[in-house]
Amino acid sequence: MTPADMPALLSAAAVVVAAPLAGAVAVALGFRRGNPRGLAVAATTAALLASLTITFLWSRSDGTGVAFGERLGGGSFVCIDGITAVLLPYVALVELVILLVAPRRSLEPGAVARILFGAAATCGLFLTSHPLVLVALWCATVLPTWISVRSTPGGAGAARVFAIAMAAATACMAVGTVLLVLDPPWSGASGLAGDAGGWLVAVAVMIRKGIVPFHSWYPKLFSGATMSTSLAATMPQVASYTAVRLLIGHADHPEGVATELVVLAQMALVTATYGAALAIVQRSLRSLIGTLAMSQSAMVLAGLAGTLPMELNGAFCVWLSSGLALTGIGLVAWALESRAGEIRLETLQGRFWDAPALAAFFLLFGLSGIGLPGTLSFVADDLIVSGSLDEQLHAGLLVIVSTVLCGVAMMRGWFHVFGGPVDPDGPRHSILVRERVALTMLLAPLFVLGLWPGPLVRALDRATSRLLAVPAASAAAAGHPAEVGGLQESPQGR
Amino acid sequence: MTNHDAISLLVVCQLAAPAATLALVGLPTLLGRPPSEKITARIVGGGFATGFVAGLITLAALAVRGFRPEIVHLGSWFSVGHHEATVDLVADALSVPYVCFSTGLCALVNAFAGKYLHREPGFTRFFLLLAVFGTGMNLMVLAGSIDVLFAGWELLGISSTMLIGFFLERGNAVRAALRAFATYRVCDVGLLTAAVVVHRAVGSGDFERLFGENWPNGTCLVPATTATIVSLLLVFAAMGKSAQVPFSGWLPQAMEGPTPSSAIFYGALSIHAGAYVLLRCESLLEQAPAARWLLIVIGLGTALHANVVGRVQTDLKSLLAYASMTQAGLIFAEIGCGWRVIPLVHVVSHAILRSLQILRSPSALHDRHELEAALGGHPGADRWALGRLLPERLQERLYRIALDRGYEEMVVGRLFVVPFLALLRWAADLERRWLAVLAGEPHDGGGRP
Repeated sequence: MTPADMPALLSAAAVVVAAPLAGAVAVALGFRRGNPRGLAVAATTAALLASLTITFLWSRSDGTGVAFGERLGGGSFVCIDGITAVLLPYVALVELVILLVAPRRSLEPGAVARILFGAAATCGLFLTSHPLVLVALWCATVLPTWISVRSTPGGAGAARVFAIAMAAATACMAVGTVLLVLDPPWSGASGLAGDAGGWLVAVAVMIRKGIVPFHSWYPKLFSGATMSTSLAATMPQVASYTAVRLLIGHADHPEGVATELVVLAQMALVTATYGAALAIVQRSLRSLIGTLAMSQSAMVLAGLAGTLPMELNGAFCVWLSSGLALTGIGLVAWALESRAGEIRLETLQGRFWDAPALAAFFLLFGLSGIGLPGTLSFVADDLIVSGSLDEQLHAGLLVIVSTVLCGVAMMRGWFHVFGGPVDPDGPRHSILVRERVALTMLLAPLFVLGLWPGPLVRALDRATSRLLAVPAASAAAAGHPAEVGGLQESPQGR
Repeated sequence: MTNHDAISLLVVCQLAAPAATLALVGLPTLLGRPPSEKITARIVGGGFATGFVAGLITLAALAVRGFRPEIVHLGSWFSVGHHEATVDLVADALSVPYVCFSTGLCALVNAFAGKYLHREPGFTRFFLLLAVFGTGMNLMVLAGSIDVLFAGWELLGISSTMLIGFFLERGNAVRAALRAFATYRVCDVGLLTAAVVVHRAVGSGDFERLFGENWPNGTCLVPATTATIVSLLLVFAAMGKSAQVPFSGWLPQAMEGPTPSSAIFYGALSIHAGAYVLLRCESLLEQAPAARWLLIVIGLGTALHANVVGRVQTDLKSLLAYASMTQAGLIFAEIGCGWRVIPLVHVVSHAILRSLQILRSPSALHDRHELEAALGGHPGADRWALGRLLPERLQERLYRIALDRGYEEMVVGRLFVVPFLALLRWAADLERRWLAVLAGEPHDGGGRP
């Protein structure tokens, strides 16, 4: 990246946060009150384009992380590196498609303002590594979700469970981060308080990611809140990002990864397997998606604790592939529900001839989530299984069992929703144009990155190698310096 | 253009032709503009025909040079650290004839299905899945690395599942599809783990680093322990796809799918996918006597089981399913004996005969009447059946065992599936109770999760 690119990079970063924020304010103030979808879609499209600009500018660089603004506890106010460049467009895309597919009755101005505010906070979080800003944005992403769940008819129980979980997580996160900042273990000081802080942050990550035994809120959120709220709250995986920023890549971690994260990873492996197994016996489509999301999210955390770039790379690929696939399935489920009510899985629902196009999208997203060759999840599974087995035999075996169970649960879900006797007098629904566009936008990256994964994997290889302070093979081959340069050093590269 | 370039181009063509039809039919369908029946059948059939012709030309080119193998390096799919997934294809005495055979058969079934499924709801879906199957099959057969082989293997499993459940309105079809998928998925663990072991052993998934490139006279290039582990994992994977005991219960149920897909999957190609993989890795098996003995035991056990159970089936497609299983078992045993050409000939001849029988099965009554008319009466019972030589009590016992399908399903169900599902339901119910407490809601009664 040349110095000439810096203003463009900063402007793009500002647009990513400002566009949805401005949209939220505008909708809250009453602009386009009758149909706020257009405004919201425009705002999130601007955020998506800006995030793609960041990715493009970063891809022209030598992989160096760039940091701007105040630095504290090893983090910077604005931090743009390989992780940001890869994950930010994903977050913006998820927010955009949620707004495109949402049924009109779910888009009352208050709900739209909350979605946009949440999008701005989440995008902002993915642009920082400053510990206190992370805590503030962590809270900012929780609040709109909780208000949305509480305002959902029949969502009081889910709101209560969510509030209990998030209050505990946020408290742990805030106290832990402050302790980490006051007595950073990586600075060579006593580090005792910092160690306690690290463990508190780990507990916060566990709760927010729904790791056993703090997993109950995950499926409950999916069954009690609107799909937009559930997807926006879980798919970006805010807690995984926090773990990456606070628990990976500091000098005191001999292999680049904090002890807390290694322990977290063991719990995450259990969660990934347990969630996938539970998904097989779920009684409703929403709880199926919830348990699968819990399992896949845990799989990401399990991979993040890897000390090999391959495993970390696999974790990021699972992050993207499972996120896109589950968002797609969630949106298809929402579209089906908006037409004919809740979908149960105890019996065959026979919905194929009611909505064949939605069935096709559900199937494609489902297969894209369980390792269909030619999709990103195939690459992700290959990397994470190989990486896990390289590192620990039991981890690899649990990952394999989890992928097997996820596959069975996913196919059971599809066959139970779309298979079964057809009601000849039942309704027939065709897919709407905006739904088709949104679902295609979501599906395209899964297939494009699956068939041509080289650029993504290379980008992640560079990013993860820097995180682990291991010189990337590709960087070495290309003659790039292993040390971080650029406008200002990224803390992860030291 | 050099000889290598020409063969490379032809090999790519064999793979790309069915894959391209997938895009040509799939994309317009996804965008809401599916092509007509005629165009759909022609596009997919054209893809298979192109692959078949390309295969024949490659075969001729290979024959001219004495079947010296040609490795086609299409480059690195992705690589991280020491882990590299390469896209390597191989044109040799095993892969090219097998591609000709499989694409030719697919083209014939394509032509049959164009008429057979005329005006059937799901016509386009069938042909799309057939194209997925053809692509997966060619990918698996031409694979020069275990990564590519695994990709093809997975496509085979998914297309098979979706075609078993093709008639979605039938509950039995859906249950059969789920059962087949679960079996495939469990056994795929073998291939996935084998791929990882191969990567760790030789640094990549390339077959040439594993056993050279000279089929059927390759040399095992890894230690005997590694060869044994990989071989055992491959045998486990092959058992699922080829319906070997104790993973055979899904096959008779799989006949719920449309007749053309039953013919090509369970009479011809999919059922022999396991045998193909074992033949491809024959050099490893040579160094793994334990795996070979296991193959013989499993193969003969399956053949005996399927032969006995098949005798009491009352519908033709189930009978044919058990007949396929018997032959697949025998082929496994032949591979276990260390033979190479005999199992290959057995695969091809069995596939052709069985797919013809399954395709004709909807007309079985008509055929029977024609036979009786030609003979001027009933053909009569088989007086020389070996079973009749057994003591009567043993015959009765075997009859009971056959009626219960060899107790295979009962044993697998009671020992593994039922306890596993019961445990999961118990856990899910506990979860719901705990959530009800957290949410301050009354529990919904604790029924089945």
